[in-house]
Amino acid sequence: MSPALASTPTTPAQWPEAVDLTTRPVALRTCDLTLGFGSRTVLQGVNLGFPKGTVTALIGPTGSGKTTLLRSLNRMNDKVPKHWHQGDVLLDGQSIFAPGVQLMALRRRVGMVFQRPNPFPMSIADNVLAGVKAHRIASRQHHKAIVKARLSEVGLLDAVSDRLGSSPFTLSGGQQQLLCLARALAVGPDVLLLDEPTSSLDPISTEHIESLLRALVPALTIVIVTHNLAQARRVADQTAFFYQGRLVEAAPTARLFEEPSEPETARYVSGRMG
Amino acid sequence: MPKAQRIPMARQPSAVATAKGQVQPGPKWAGRAVATAARNLARSGWLLRGATGAAALVPVVALAGILAVLAERAWPAIVYNGLGFFTHVAWDPGSSYGNPVRTGGALHQAGATFGALPLILGTLGSSAIAIVVAVPVSVGAALVVVEKLPPRMANVLGLFLEVLAGIPSVVFGLWGALSFGPLIARDLAPLVARHVPDLPVLNFFRGSTGNGEGLLTAGLVLAVMVVPIVASTTRDLLRQVPALPKEGARALGLSDWEVSRLVSLPWARSGIIGASLLGLARALGETMAVAMVSGAFLGANPSNIYLPFTTIAATIVSQLDSAFTDGTGFYVRALAEAALVLAVITLVANVAARLLVRKAGGVALPVGRGI
Amino acid sequence: MASPAATSLSGAGAREPLDLYGRPPWRRRAADRAGWAACLLALALMGAPLVSVLWGVVGRALPGWRWDVLWQPATSQGGGLGSEILGTLVIVAGVVVVAGTVGIGSGIFLSEYASGMAGSVLRAGSEVLAGIPSIVLGYVGYLALVIGLHWQFSLGAALLTLSVLTAPYIAKSTEAALRQVPTSYREGADALGMAPLHAMRRITLKAALPGVVTGLLIAVAIAIGETAPLLYTAGFTDNLPSLRWAHNPVGYLTYAVWTFYNQPSNVFQDLSFDAALVLVVMVLVLIAVSRAVVARAGRHAERN
Repeated sequence: MSPALASTPTTPAQWPEAVDLTTRPVALRTCDLTLGFGSRTVLQGVNLGFPKGTVTALIGPTGSGKTTLLRSLNRMNDKVPKHWHQGDVLLDGQSIFAPGVQLMALRRRVGMVFQRPNPFPMSIADNVLAGVKAHRIASRQHHKAIVKARLSEVGLLDAVSDRLGSSPFTLSGGQQQLLCLARALAVGPDVLLLDEPTSSLDPISTEHIESLLRALVPALTIVIVTHNLAQARRVADQTAFFYQGRLVEAAPTARLFEEPSEPETARYVSGRMG
Repeated sequence: MPKAQRIPMARQPSAVATAKGQVQPGPKWAGRAVATAARNLARSGWLLRGATGAAALVPVVALAGILAVLAERAWPAIVYNGLGFFTHVAWDPGSSYGNPVRTGGALHQAGATFGALPLILGTLGSSAIAIVVAVPVSVGAALVVVEKLPPRMANVLGLFLEVLAGIPSVVFGLWGALSFGPLIARDLAPLVARHVPDLPVLNFFRGSTGNGEGLLTAGLVLAVMVVPIVASTTRDLLRQVPALPKEGARALGLSDWEVSRLVSLPWARSGIIGASLLGLARALGETMAVAMVSGAFLGANPSNIYLPFTTIAATIVSQLDSAFTDGTGFYVRALAEAALVLAVITLVANVAARLLVRKAGGVALPVGRGI
Repeated sequence: MASPAATSLSGAGAREPLDLYGRPPWRRRAADRAGWAACLLALALMGAPLVSVLWGVVGRALPGWRWDVLWQPATSQGGGLGSEILGTLVIVAGVVVVAGTVGIGSGIFLSEYASGMAGSVLRAGSEVLAGIPSIVLGYVGYLALVIGLHWQFSLGAALLTLSVLTAPYIAKSTEAALRQVPTSYREGADALGMAPLHAMRRITLKAALPGVVTGLLIAVAIAIGETAPLLYTAGFTDNLPSLRWAHNPVGYLTYAVWTFYNQPSNVFQDLSFDAALVLVVMVLVLIAVSRAVVARAGRHAERN
């Protein structure tokens, strides 16, 4: 674990300092996004902006549509049978659904980390380099440096420096998730989507990943889906509450938790729903 | 006795019948005692367990029996032929007109020489051609069907593979001998032979292209027969690649092809190697199709890939009549030695395939010919 | 945190934004195209021989097809395939009985009783046996039964040899089918106080029946299509099969394909193709039946 990440905000005093979200440019925005599968509508008219260099947490009960929204931000839902959508998602003002948009380019800019670690069946170093090689981001002589840089960025280098050539499946769950994070960072995304990245991890790994996310902004814009309200509180600048496929309320994290303007939000964040 | 208890007694006809057959029609109590004993035996489950256990032993006993019978019958030939069986090319059952000769206790025809090198090389060579052709074709076809084409096409592929696996090998032989072989002799072989560069290393691919009966034809016919095993296993393996890493690769901006190449194929790799070994075992042992397209050329190695040759299995079939005419019975023993060699080679390939797949913890390999 | 030097190797947010419409370099697109094209070519290469085989057999046999080929006995001038078809059916029936008994029994034992070391040895033995070339089995049948036990070319020798060859397939699919039967069925039968044999016959095996039937159909398909092991055990005859266990050779369809195809006379070559057609049709019917069995079982499972 790198020294910079040794202290993790766990007490209210260490919650992220409130940033003025209104003055920041928006990296990603959904415009009246409605989507579903077949006859089922999963998300209804979502309007939500993700300010540059901030962490946004998507919270809400199971089935509220938050994961579906996350997956539509880099069009991972495209492959789902009978998927449809209305409205739009703008990345730096450009529609990601416009004809001619290259999925490969989009996903290079909007990366994703999944609920469970999903390393590829290749060596640890090749895992980090998978995207770099495919997109031909750097020449071969830089590969080694990139592996080291990205692994140290996520605080994994010390643990694996002597076995970069071996299989990632011998690593612990937390280490595998860090590897997946390093892999996503290696292609240099502007936005990083995380789908409950710590739900299958132990508390120490969770803490480590949370502090890592704080360290990655402001260079990155992060969107994280979480079931864990305390986690949202710890890492997010902005929090959006979803209920039954609608965006109920989005606000700076502190305000959403302390003075929610909608009764449903109040019930959820106080633990009476969910 | 209460009625309810009598029913199971009546439902054990085999046990009761056996018991009745052995017991004299004597006092009533004796018959009842035997019947009760039989019923208790059936109830305890030992009957079912014992009978099915015996059935389960049959394959293992058969396997041991096969090797034992072959070894026992082949022993005089093994002693007589020595290592020459693996190094000599001459194959001559000897003269059936002269007097039989006795060497080291084994009676054989005068001048008998059994050098199985061309047979062994032919077996390995034709199977190698089959694997080299069949594995890429099978893997490519399975890949595009699983990853790209709609599920309905996967069903069609399944049906294709079932039919391909089910067609009798004589029918493949018939096809190879009368349509595919001539096609190769007329079009493919001259084309390749003409364009292969004139290098000593490549002489095996140059020269006379024969009439379609030969090593190349046999290897390609075998390839067709091996495809169902490799393709169906590969398809099953690819279907079982977990969705998560594939999704992760797609989220990284990799194309479908890159996802397949970097995630799906490596995931299935050891299973595919196992299936290929299984296909190799099938090719090594295939008999009729090879016998019908090999040209049955005994006694020397073919001078190039287009010319007649033979394999161990094809020789056992093609020498059927000659073996019967050897009054000393020694030819039968020599063929037993060849069969033993073939059994051992295929056994090794099979065991290796299964060990490999077990080590990888992948899917189960199909039995035998992969139907 | 990452050093600036490392970040310059394109870490998070280190570059100017990428063009969303930027197509991947041509080399990458070409690799994709070439890859999938090669796979499609492989698919075509796989399908072509099958079509060619079926077309070759059907196209040659159908034009001169006579229905009486199915029952006419063979003569020195040609005749029909009556005795061969009957012989094949007799052999297949025998295989179903012998291999069916051994295979189903073995499958039951492997699924219900065999565990640990013993189970894996028995299972491995059965799987490896299925991988032994059929010509080797046939030759051993010849050595042990035809000359060893003096049965001569006979139904008995053919039956036992083919049964050893096919029993592993039946065992494997029986075992797999039984493993699919929920434990609750067995527990239910135990709770009713059923005798094990009864419970197995009435409950467990019944639930696994589609799998067992599929295994039997595979065995039948193999028994119909095999030639090599029969050459050395059944021998051959033009006469009708005699149903005697030993001493009488039996004719069978695959032999007709194998002996007649390179005869100079066209009549015999036609018979060879007719026999091939009958074999292919039999295999197709078996495949259709096994698919129907599986589909039917699937429907039942869905309804429950």
